[in-house]
Amino acid sequence: MKKSQKTIESILAGYPRHPQNLIGLLQDVQAEYNYISPEHLALICDHVGAPLTQAWSVATFYKSFSLEPRGEHEIKVCLGTTCHLKGGNRLVETCERDLGVARGQTTEDLRFTLDTVNCLGSCALAPVVMVDEDYLGGANIRSLKKRLSKLE
Amino acid sequence: MVNLTIDGRAVQTKKGQTILEACDDLGIFVPRLCYHPALKPIGACRICVVEVKPGPPRPLPACATYVAEGQEVVTASPKLDVIRLELMKLVLINHALECPVCDKGGECELQDLTHAIGVPEVDLAAVKLPPNQDYESQLVERHPDRCVTCGRCIHICRDRVGAMAINFTLRGYFTELTSGAVPLDCEFCGSCIDICPVGALINKQFKYRSRAWEVTKTEMACPFCGGGCTYELHVKDGKVMRVFNGGDKVVLCGRGRFGWPVVEAPDRLKTPLIRQDGQLQEATWDEALDLVAAKFRQITEAAGLGAIYGVGSPRATNEANYLFQKFFRQGLGTNNLDNPGRYTYIRALQGLAAVFGPAQVSGVELDPSRPPAFTSPYPVTDDAKGKGFPFVLGKIDDLPKADVVLVVGADVTPELPPLGWALLEARERDAFKLIVANNRRTKFDRYADLSMRCQPGTERLLVAGIIKALLAAEVTPAIRASGVEEFKESLKKLTLKDVAKKTGVEEAAIKAAADLLAQALAPAIIFGAELLAQDKGQENALALADLFLLVGKPGAPGSALYPVAEKNNTRGVCEVGVLPDFGPGFAPVDKPGAALPEVLALLEKGDAAAPQSLYLLGGDLLRFAPNHKQVEKALKKVPFIVVQDAFLTETAKLAHVVLPVAVHAEQEGTFISSDGTLGYLPRALSANGVKPDCLIIHEIASRMGYSIPTGGPANIFKDLAKAMPLWAGLAPKGSEPRADFGKDLSGQLVPFDLDVSLPGRRPLTLLVGKSLQHSGSFTTHHPCGALTVTPRAELGMNPDDAQGLGLTEGDAAKVTSSQGEISVPITLNPDLPPGLVFLPEHFADPAANALTLNSNLVRVTISKG
Ligand code: SF4
Ligand code: SF4
Ligand code: SF4
Ligand code: FES
Ligand code: FES
Repeated sequence: MKKSQKTIESILAGYPRHPQNLIGLLQDVQAEYNYISPEHLALICDHVGAPLTQAWSVATFYKSFSLEPRGEHEIKVCLGTTCHLKGGNRLVETCERDLGVARGQTTEDLRFTLDTVNCLGSCALAPVVMVDEDYLGGANIRSLKKRLSKLE
Repeated sequence: MVNLTIDGRAVQTKKGQTILEACDDLGIFVPRLCYHPALKPIGACRICVVEVKPGPPRPLPACATYVAEGQEVVTASPKLDVIRLELMKLVLINHALECPVCDKGGECELQDLTHAIGVPEVDLAAVKLPPNQDYESQLVERHPDRCVTCGRCIHICRDRVGAMAINFTLRGYFTELTSGAVPLDCEFCGSCIDICPVGALINKQFKYRSRAWEVTKTEMACPFCGGGCTYELHVKDGKVMRVFNGGDKVVLCGRGRFGWPVVEAPDRLKTPLIRQDGQLQEATWDEALDLVAAKFRQITEAAGLGAIYGVGSPRATNEANYLFQKFFRQGLGTNNLDNPGRYTYIRALQGLAAVFGPAQVSGVELDPSRPPAFTSPYPVTDDAKGKGFPFVLGKIDDLPKADVVLVVGADVTPELPPLGWALLEARERDAFKLIVANNRRTKFDRYADLSMRCQPGTERLLVAGIIKALLAAEVTPAIRASGVEEFKESLKKLTLKDVAKKTGVEEAAIKAAADLLAQALAPAIIFGAELLAQDKGQENALALADLFLLVGKPGAPGSALYPVAEKNNTRGVCEVGVLPDFGPGFAPVDKPGAALPEVLALLEKGDAAAPQSLYLLGGDLLRFAPNHKQVEKALKKVPFIVVQDAFLTETAKLAHVVLPVAVHAEQEGTFISSDGTLGYLPRALSANGVKPDCLIIHEIASRMGYSIPTGGPANIFKDLAKAMPLWAGLAPKGSEPRADFGKDLSGQLVPFDLDVSLPGRRPLTLLVGKSLQHSGSFTTHHPCGALTVTPRAELGMNPDDAQGLGLTEGDAAKVTSSQGEISVPITLNPDLPPGLVFLPEHFADPAANALTLNSNLVRVTISKG
């Protein structure tokens, strides 16, 4: 995880006060803080003049936004059609057991967030797991465990 | 007209209609779920699909497809049946079928549709979604598991109410209605409840109290503000169950929808009270009425007929107020009467009358045949012509046709919600421009094309600046205008630079406003009671009347002046003649009586000419007139005060006789709303021992030997309407002056006072104004629903000001003016500019008017404590 360098004020200052900048601001805050806190959401709304419910609606519509703190490492197990057929489910279960966290959740120590996705666009490599920015193709329980242990 | 065939039938429909609207007009049933006539097409459910030729090979939603010449539409076919059935199964897949305990049961569109489409079973399985009910929010309960994601509530909240308080969260199958975070923080108008086709949004006041089919429904005018809404009152076993649906538009405000429990307030007066040994004691009606009549007779015999002063009521019906002025004029033979609108609305009428002249109606004749009840006996003929100020007053339904609206000194929604709804409708047209000029940020600044923030109390100077800019651009008025040269002379010394400096509004903005108004084809001006309640409120109205004379296009619908008449009958009480200088229909009287503020001043001084007795029809002077101390002193000097009210108000506490009256639907009668609509109030509840105003006035009059009309409100209306050619053509829900009246408008530009200084040197300015959830003090009695949202008075303050004073949210602040001191909790409000604090006027404690002198603006000092 990057250390937060930019303050919320400096992020806001980069955008004119107009509702059309809502998504841009949400993206920047998400990138900088890894999630959008209720306080930040309110500040963004104030800045662009959008109602809170609208920001909430947008932030929950797109999967790339998170309203809860995310872990240091993001693990995305693909459950798209191909990966599903190739045993993606077993990989998720492995992660759940190993990391002690349910899919969609973040570990209490904020180290890992486990998510499932519907196709990572790399079906040829199925089953695929994404660990942070890296793709782990042709994954099996062993290779996955190894990859996870490297993180710790 | 458009020619097309629907289900093989050749039909003609209106241009610009959707296929669904056309089918509805023709009586062809097309199933639908998300469509609602009060909203623009949403197109979310697709249940309304029809086959259209020529068109794409797939079915199209009837609610979002427009009729076209030569179209062939099929609304029912096996193919469509299959689609609709499948869609219905998808809707029902995760719907909590809780019909037996769901409040919507019996009036649920999903129940009806499931029945109409004949869904035998839902043979689909899916992940069960968490129900996520919201039981926490006030007044509105949410059941997302019953939601069919039609989006109606979101659209009404965004496009009609303008609150944008709810929206969908997540997407696809997981879509859920949310307010962002529980609980709901919104205007609490309840409009989303009544437009929801299912039981996903529930009215907490109604919950579990009745099934939909058990109630008796009565359509009636809302008795709170001057908005003139009508709604259905649902009554079961003599008790109100709920207020439902603001007619076709569905929207109502929170006080209208949730305010009705004032009827059941335990602190309502049930029996007359008589002062004995200094205490108010319960008495019988006969004792009280006999005493009033005897005392009145005694006083008039000793001190003359003018010794009794009457104050009419902007709450009471036209009929009651008309009888009241009859009692004074015909019975006592005096013009010594007035109404509390003197401090606000009457100032608007006077300002407008100075420019556009007195009300004059010609060419209308009494129809000898008997008109239906509550209908004017004067039909409007081709010769009907109107002159003077009533003919520049606008109708709310026309406001969306205006192309430029200037709002001055009004937080529109709390002042008069329907004006706000109309502005939102107007905004749907691209050409529409909104100019807002207030001393603080208000809801409509968000929608304004030009938003000007002026120093409190300088609005009139700002208007002068706009006028100056218009004169410099040599606009030619569309209305015949005289007095141009003198008027120009009066503004000669004024420079825009000076205006900009004193008002705090940039010169460029003033010029831009003038430009917009000069180019407008149908400009309208809205101004609030807030502007009129300043000591120079009449000058404010005068300035705006001058401005309208310069730019107004009264021939164009919507181009008009919209002063806010704040209460349900503020306009009516004036029109039926509860004024010292005008009788019914603004007919001038021979020997005008004294106006209310003069009388209070005379009383305070103990002047020999002061009245010996006051007869008050409601109207809590002590709470609402500025300068509490003076009013209190004045009232305490009156030897005999009679108050007719439903509650023991501050003023009633000083009375010698208090007569409890019927409120809301306990009586029949009519109101005139702010825009001149005749609202009809039928009697839907029993009066439980209290009496309607009309009856009380009549009983006092007959005890004094006066004959004034009787026979119930319908009869009184007949008598009243005969005296009102101004009401020609008026009927319930109709608006006066009628659109088919010929207008013969001309005006005179009248110079106005340019001094906008606010006396005193204290550092902050206090504005006493309106709260969204309240209407006068009527809504401040438990268990009124609106009171649960705004239960007390809080002093709004800019966060920086608060920080400077060492105050945080909820802290008690001591507010001191030259007139007095109060203690009140503060609330931080960034919409207020530094230097301005805001206190709602509605509550008895703290009494806002303990601080005011002759205006709703006063300089104050604030400290902790
Ligand atoms: S109650 Fe009114 S303001 Fe609140 S969410 Fe419903 S429609 Fe919007
Ligand atoms: S709550 Fe009601 S109105 Fe709103 S989307 Fe759901 S079903 Fe439609
Ligand atoms: S209080 Fe006014 S706006 Fe609200 S419902 Fe009643 S008339 Fe309409
Ligand atoms: S299904 Fe997993 S990458 Fe496409
Ligand atoms: S009614 Fe037409 S799409 Fe819902």
